[in-house]
Amino acid sequence: MAAVIKTVNLTKRYGTLVALSNLNLEINEGDCFGFIGPNGAGKTTTIKILATLLQPTWGEARVCDYVVGYQSRSIRPLIGYVPDYFGAYEDMVVQEYLEFFAAAYNINGAQRTKIVNDVLELTDLGFKRDAAVDGLSRGMKQRLSIARVLVHDPKVLLLDEPAGNLDPRARIEMRELLKELRRMGKTILISSHILPELADLCNTVGIIEQGELLYSGPVADIVRRARAGTVVHVGVLRAPEQAAALLAQHPDVESAAPNNGYIEVALKTGVQDYSFIPSQLVAAGFQINLLREEEVNLETAFMRLTKGMVQ
Amino acid sequence: MLGIADYLWRLVPGNPILLRVVENAGKKRRDAIIRCGYLGLLVVVVLYTLVTGSGDPGNLADLSHTSTVLFQQMSYLQLGLVALLSPIFTAGAITQERDSQTYDILLSTPLTNGQIVLGSLLSREFFIIALLVSGIPVFAVTQIFGGVAIQSIVFSFLIAASTAMVTGAMAMAIATFKVGTRRTIFSFYLFIVVYLVGGYLLDRVDFFRLDWVDSTGNRVPTSTSWFTSLNPFLALRVIFKDRLYLPPNLADLPQSYQTWPLGWYWTNPASFYVCFMLFLSLAMMVPSVLFLRRLAQSTTSIKGWLLQKLRLSAGDRSRKPRPVWHNPIAWREARTKASAARATFLRYGFILLGIIGAVVLLAMHSTELTPKQSINHSYDPAKNTLYVEGSGQPEIPVAPGVEVKLADAPATLDDLYGRYEVANFTQDANQAIATINLKEYPRELDPEQARSWLLGLTIVEFSVILLIISNAAASTVTREKEDGTLDLLLSTPITSRYYIWGKLRGLVAFVLPLLAVPVASSLLFIVHDLVRWLAARDSNFQWIVFPEAMLTMPAMLIIVCAFAAILGMQMSLRCRTTVRAVMSSVGIIVGACAALGWCGYQVLQSSTPPELAAAIGAFSPFTLLTILIDPYQFAGNGFNPNAGTSYDPAGVRVAAFLVCAVAIAVYAMGIWSMYKSMVKNFDMTIRRQSR
Repeated sequence: MAAVIKTVNLTKRYGTLVALSNLNLEINEGDCFGFIGPNGAGKTTTIKILATLLQPTWGEARVCDYVVGYQSRSIRPLIGYVPDYFGAYEDMVVQEYLEFFAAAYNINGAQRTKIVNDVLELTDLGFKRDAAVDGLSRGMKQRLSIARVLVHDPKVLLLDEPAGNLDPRARIEMRELLKELRRMGKTILISSHILPELADLCNTVGIIEQGELLYSGPVADIVRRARAGTVVHVGVLRAPEQAAALLAQHPDVESAAPNNGYIEVALKTGVQDYSFIPSQLVAAGFQINLLREEEVNLETAFMRLTKGMVQ
Repeated sequence: MLGIADYLWRLVPGNPILLRVVENAGKKRRDAIIRCGYLGLLVVVVLYTLVTGSGDPGNLADLSHTSTVLFQQMSYLQLGLVALLSPIFTAGAITQERDSQTYDILLSTPLTNGQIVLGSLLSREFFIIALLVSGIPVFAVTQIFGGVAIQSIVFSFLIAASTAMVTGAMAMAIATFKVGTRRTIFSFYLFIVVYLVGGYLLDRVDFFRLDWVDSTGNRVPTSTSWFTSLNPFLALRVIFKDRLYLPPNLADLPQSYQTWPLGWYWTNPASFYVCFMLFLSLAMMVPSVLFLRRLAQSTTSIKGWLLQKLRLSAGDRSRKPRPVWHNPIAWREARTKASAARATFLRYGFILLGIIGAVVLLAMHSTELTPKQSINHSYDPAKNTLYVEGSGQPEIPVAPGVEVKLADAPATLDDLYGRYEVANFTQDANQAIATINLKEYPRELDPEQARSWLLGLTIVEFSVILLIISNAAASTVTREKEDGTLDLLLSTPITSRYYIWGKLRGLVAFVLPLLAVPVASSLLFIVHDLVRWLAARDSNFQWIVFPEAMLTMPAMLIIVCAFAAILGMQMSLRCRTTVRAVMSSVGIIVGACAALGWCGYQVLQSSTPPELAAAIGAFSPFTLLTILIDPYQFAGNGFNPNAGTSYDPAGVRVAAFLVCAVAIAVYAMGIWSMYKSMVKNFDMTIRRQSR
């Protein structure tokens, strides 16, 4: 599959502050790429460069094979940018707002009316068509932002924290809307702090910290990589310290120690089979009441891979 | 007692809000520049007056006169700068607390309402007061030469300080009562300008003066007016003891005006102004102090509540969408800004008032009064007699060498065929008319007054339009930056060329209906005059407004507005905040117009050949308006029949017309070059600011 978004050694400096350092990113057509990182990691800077709003200090960013900075005019009709705030014009109603941006993409006449109606229907905003934009709730505004970037049917969506500050219902609705867009074949780059939702929505993710890309690839891969070695939680009815000491002697065990009422057993890298644990403990007379492999999700992976450092 | 002292201490000297400002005072580079600029201007005035001062430098009386002139000029300058700067520094109070989100934090502290209100007010006034104090040594120069009473200097400072105080109190009241938004800052500024200029102009109208009986028993109007005690510039003029502008003595006033406070109001305008403004400041602060927290708890603004009560707003904020133009940027500037309820009200109010004003002027001008004596086509050439209606005489013979004058200018016997007021006539020994002075038929508003009023109206209207477009242009990009909509637009295919052109086009379209008001006002007079001219076919016919104004006036006004718009947009692009962009832009426009107007006026009044003077003056929009509407009063010798060879109205009109076309081309080139430069630097400037 062709890379729709590609950055090569992308670097952005603000004076002495390095916001992005040699970022190499590749997002294929139809991918939904989750961009994860602590505050100040460089996510918004990357998205702004891809949205042609910032010039890189060094390196290259390409969208649909067009180079940002040199071919920005060709890029703009292909992208839809949703910033992490809602840019509201005073004294405009919802339909005017969408028609305004449709006109900005040179969509006029009957075609504009039809597209705006379709987009309002897709985003379930038809009933708000006459409502003042700056009087909408936060969830409605975010939905209108998505509607805005759909009027010109872009290939690529650049979404910076689209679900930030939304209530649970609005967040779920937003997620469903984005899933629908993915089904429509859009390539989506989305930054968010709500990792379980990204795991549900995205097929690939990138983790960035202090302007450097720590990881980029499929969600399953990152979980696997974060896992390193399997961790098993074991519960025994009595003498957990003795049980831990027994397990620690096993050649496949890296470490075993009591932790909050259960024993945390870390297996050596590459060891997947932990059936020896119950048999060894039962043979030694211990009674087992818990045996569970530790779950590694995107959140745990993020916590393990990043150091929580901000610029 | 200790509690009261502590309360008072914490109210002002120990007020933490005020202390924060005082402690940081002088650290800001901008404040230092303004202070230096202010003192520099005062020093320049001192030097200029001393160098150009007339009389013998060794003569104490001459020095004293120079000192008086110096004091007057410095006082005007000081008051002018305070009037200009005070709204700038205090208007921010309207929204700043809310915008910076420190307001709620302040309200949740143990600070009392009084501390918050007074602290905010005085911290904003602090800079102005410091500015005034820094000027005291410069004013002290006048004491070296004498001629200026200490009391006058004190009053000059008090008038400036009370003006600053009332401006600040008004801004605080607007902020507290939630009747202000970001847009209110400009309306507030405009209100102060209109109040000061309007009061000054209305002061010249006899209608607002009182009649009093002089020593000879004649009723004469007072030289001061109802506005003197309410306008700082007029109150200041009183303390100069100008013989042409002296308040009446208490005994000279009609009996009913001699009681307090009317007696005080009329006889001592300066002290009344100071006391009244301080009282007004207090009156505006007290409700703020009493209701600050209660008003902060309310969820609707007073304006919103009032609109709902009057059923002008349903509160749900929805309406039918309007069609969007092909150029959305131009549509946004021209339509959405004008459609807001307040903007609609102001626009239509402005148009309505302007047209009503012009119609009233025309109606007054066309209403003829019955003169004491007149001739009405009553010359009989066969008998060589003239019937002067109102003279009490039958047909009077006309002497062979009769001297006829029309409006004090030599006229011919043919003029006796006309319809004129007879100012006076003399008869020779044979009772025949030897000299006769004719005047135009008297009107409720004679031509001179009509021209003056129309010119005043046009200048005020155009000034307001210029301020409106400067404000709209200066806020156009910064507001998008603040609202976050600029990034959205920049990520669309809209280019900087398209964006800036759209803004410019939209802004000019936005003010076109407003510009139609002064043009339509002049058109009314031109049509009226045309009908009269066609009926009279008089070679000496004097137009109220020259017909060529229909070509030059709209073209010049539109191009100057476009120039103001591109200048405002330039500032808007460079500045990070709307307030700074608006203030810079308005300052530049006001300064440029004042300088151009002053130069144009000086050139017209000088000994420069009138055609050349008119040609130079045509570059300034205000001077051009003067030449087109009231040249007889302001355009110098070119329109003065007694100026000999310099009298050449036709030549001056042609010169002004032709050079006006050149001036329009020059303005257009200026706009084009600024537009090109903005297009070129747009991306770089925006990117630099987006850090």
